[in-house]
Amino acid sequence: MKKNGPILRLKNGKFKINLSNEHREVLQHLIEQLRDSLMSANDDASLRRLFPTAYHNDALKDAEYQRLMRDELLASRLASTETALLVIADQEEIDAESIDGFSRSINSMRLVIGTNLDISESDYNKSNENSTDGADDDLDDHDVQKELYEYLGWLLEWTVMAQSEGL
Amino acid sequence: MRTRQSYDEKVKSLRHNIDMNKFLVASVQPAQVQEPDLADKTKSDRPWIVIVWNDPINLMSYVTFVFQKLFGYSLEKATELMLDVHHKGRAVVSSGSRERAEFDVYRLHEHGLWATMENESQ
Repeated sequence: MKKNGPILRLKNGKFKINLSNEHREVLQHLIEQLRDSLMSANDDASLRRLFPTAYHNDALKDAEYQRLMRDELLASRLASTETALLVIADQEEIDAESIDGFSRSINSMRLVIGTNLDISESDYNKSNENSTDGADDDLDDHDVQKELYEYLGWLLEWTVMAQSEGL
Repeated sequence: MRTRQSYDEKVKSLRHNIDMNKFLVASVQPAQVQEPDLADKTKSDRPWIVIVWNDPINLMSYVTFVFQKLFGYSLEKATELMLDVHHKGRAVVSSGSRERAEFDVYRLHEHGLWATMENESQ
């Protein structure tokens, strides 16, 4: 089963992306959107989960933390998106550091879309229940986001499984 | 769980449907995040603790992996902490000086986890 997964860990410790060009095109567009949104430097509510509070009971300390660390966190997220774009474009073996940037970007996109969808705890285990198998050419924007959310979860599960083999 | 083949089919549909300019735009305004409501106390002579809070988006497998990767925990320890987060709403994942706690919080934020810190005496 693992040999049919989208992300494979090779015996030499590197990784292989086993995805068709259609998968790669969708992921490239999503990652580019994430990068562009991060670079737009606005306070989009969709991005709030990417920049959480650090001091939950001390507003002053948190303001100081955000002043010092937010730009660094933003730079880290942007670097991950650039790494992820390279991973998506690469047909060759991928090193562990690059796969790490890839998985963090996939997770970031899930956080953004999950925030947009207002995912709650009760949604956690029923992501497959309302989705349709196979192709559907007439999805509205909300349906597309739900499908993307589930798709990214599937991809992240496989990526984590492959990464965990190296621990 | 869907099969690989069904995702191959699904991605064709997504590629057809996806509006490249809209996936980050909320169809409804997201609800405000409920920040932990704890009394504000100030004590600095005790170690700081790093708390990871439950959220419905991060995958349990991903959270477990991040705990193993960042803190070197065994699979058993990382899974136990992840389950505490999931069932109890929070788990203390590390402790130490304020600087160390800020470093750990930053690394957890880098990985998309909802982590905060507080003085242990609070």
